[in-house]
Amino acid sequence: MSRFLKIIIPLALGIVLGLLYGWVIDPADFFDLTPDTLRADYKADYVLMTAEAYRAQPDPGLAARRLAIFGSQSPSAIAADGLAYARTNGFDDADVALIQELVTAMQAWSGIP
Amino acid sequence: MRRIPWGMLLALLAGLGLGLVYAWTISPARVIDSQPVALRADFKDHYRSAIAAAYSATGDLARAQARLSLLGDTDSIEALNAQAQRMLASNASGQSFNEADQVVALASALDQNAVNIPTATPTTRSADNTPDAVNTANVVVTINPATSTFPASTSEIPIEPTETPQTIETQTTPVAATPRPTRTFIPTAGSPFKLTGQESVCDPNLPDGLLQVLVFNSNRRQMPGIEILITWEGGAENFFTGLKPELGNGYADYIMSPDVIYTLQLRSGSDIASGLTIPTCQSPSGDAFSGGIKLTFQEP
Repeated sequence: MSRFLKIIIPLALGIVLGLLYGWVIDPADFFDLTPDTLRADYKADYVLMTAEAYRAQPDPGLAARRLAIFGSQSPSAIAADGLAYARTNGFDDADVALIQELVTAMQAWSGIP
Repeated sequence: MRRIPWGMLLALLAGLGLGLVYAWTISPARVIDSQPVALRADFKDHYRSAIAAAYSATGDLARAQARLSLLGDTDSIEALNAQAQRMLASNASGQSFNEADQVVALASALDQNAVNIPTATPTTRSADNTPDAVNTANVVVTINPATSTFPASTSEIPIEPTETPQTIETQTTPVAATPRPTRTFIPTAGSPFKLTGQESVCDPNLPDGLLQVLVFNSNRRQMPGIEILITWEGGAENFFTGLKPELGNGYADYIMSPDVIYTLQLRSGSDIASGLTIPTCQSPSGDAFSGGIKLTFQEP
């Protein structure tokens, strides 16, 4: 093996091991994250919270503002994602109905006061 | 004896270092599936507001506790109260007041139950595949006033600011099922409050001109979130009960200025306390100092 390969091969192996360790085995600790990174069940629960609050205070603008923390998606899309998760993961029927109500409201809401 | 291949070893270590630098700093793994505890502080505030709004709507305290525990606050009551103060200070709009009111109401409900919220962040899924945050079936409620920041009794009795809370026995109560929803403790515009007590307070340990207000409901429970209107010639100001929960949920205070006569009433309707001015007190040694006033309002 040439002297060049004797350096390059261990170097490449080291890089691969380093990436494996840094990305998979012990990835960097994260904090100060944004809500769009939340796991799907937490997002769905947040949508449920918004739906519960919406039932008591039917203000679509306020509900849309609450959902807007998830970023670029529209409030109705965020609520619909929550509804889809709730339906496929055994949420109570009452909770699903609440989210459905929110989805309908968000779809009807134009954003213009 | 074989020679150690130092060159290859060094190349391997250099590669390892480069790989770690790239993986940890230059291009860290993309974050997905994070937990609420890792959210930025302002998003945690949004999260708490949503929890409080949901609690206000459903009255389900166990579910609110389970959700709050996800945020990893060491003391959820303190976190909620601090957030309410930030909300009131940052925005005077009606919506902000309403949201702050909901946050205070949740803090008050937690305080009244003298509950320590478990701080562990659940990472497993429940058997019925319900998300952790809404799985309240196995919540263990630990009643521990001894270690709680706020004494359990503050909502029941009026307390002096200098009083030390009594330590009582720790008790653990497992809750077998999701408790039935309880009514959200939100002050309502009911009967006008009666001014049941007005006294001068001569305590040199308290700030000069301290006006203390305590508000109770008809069951002698202290009421947070009550708006108080204080006026004087050429001015007026509002303040709220419940923002110093360590002194009682129905407690509020205001520092009076010397030589100013104040009139005070509760915004939702109450007797009017008028002619309020800083009393002059005398210490045992005969020195004069400025005292304070304590007003007590109660719902009939």
